[in-house]
Amino acid sequence: MSIPAEQRRAEFEDEALIHLDALFGLALRLSGGDEPRAEDLVQETMLKAYRAWDRFEAGTNCRAWLMTILRNTFINQFRKQKSRPVPVEFDQLAERPSSDALYEADPEGRIFDHIIDDQVIAAIDELPEEFRVAVVLSDLEGLSYQEVAELMDIPVGTVKSRLFRARKRLQGRLYEYAVEMGYVK
Amino acid sequence: MTECSTPPTGAERPGEPKLSCEEALARVYEYLDGELGAADHDAVRRHLEKCRNCYPHFDFERLFLDYVHELGAGEKARPGLEDRVREMLAAETD
Repeated sequence: MSIPAEQRRAEFEDEALIHLDALFGLALRLSGGDEPRAEDLVQETMLKAYRAWDRFEAGTNCRAWLMTILRNTFINQFRKQKSRPVPVEFDQLAERPSSDALYEADPEGRIFDHIIDDQVIAAIDELPEEFRVAVVLSDLEGLSYQEVAELMDIPVGTVKSRLFRARKRLQGRLYEYAVEMGYVK
Repeated sequence: MTECSTPPTGAERPGEPKLSCEEALARVYEYLDGELGAADHDAVRRHLEKCRNCYPHFDFERLFLDYVHELGAGEKARPGLEDRVREMLAAETD
């Protein structure tokens, strides 16, 4: 192999591999905690990025560039799956405590300082995929409603309603944990 | 800013939209996500300045969103992934 090719690879590794944790973290949440799927997603992202490395502008944000490739790669897979029937409708899931139970029990939000993060992460992972993806893109990644709508190929109004229901579902899970911990009655 | 009970009873300038608590709370996420247009954002903000029922609820939702946002950080790639990526890149370079 040629020396320039080796140099190019070394340069890519120096710039890109330091973002492996962040990429894996995003992939894991998008995949709902499915580690093999998340690792495949990271590897595919790295391969695409490496092949496109000549088009990366040195000095710009490499992390953001890689995260965008990962998001787009995931979304392509997600859209291909969309023709499949959705196994469980959110509406059909068992009713949880009222959507404001957590606020009513703990209006100052002290639970957020005490809850074990892994429990909330598990609750995000358990969301039906079309809700989880909206939450991850919006709440963890900070994308706008419009950006989420375009990526997921759904109307902005649907993004809003999915975020509302998913967030209330997460608060319902937090409330249940708070009760289990004896933190609220 | 003087506090008032809900629904807000403070004097509104004529012609400005006045929100009920229900209307304000229906917009809580759009408000906190910065997704409302300027007029709607101002209408919610004015409601919050006067309504001591809604303000704590909005504060709570803001804490919740901040908490969820922070969850995004801290995950570590599993051992072996970096080696597999390096091997893949080496194979691609050949």
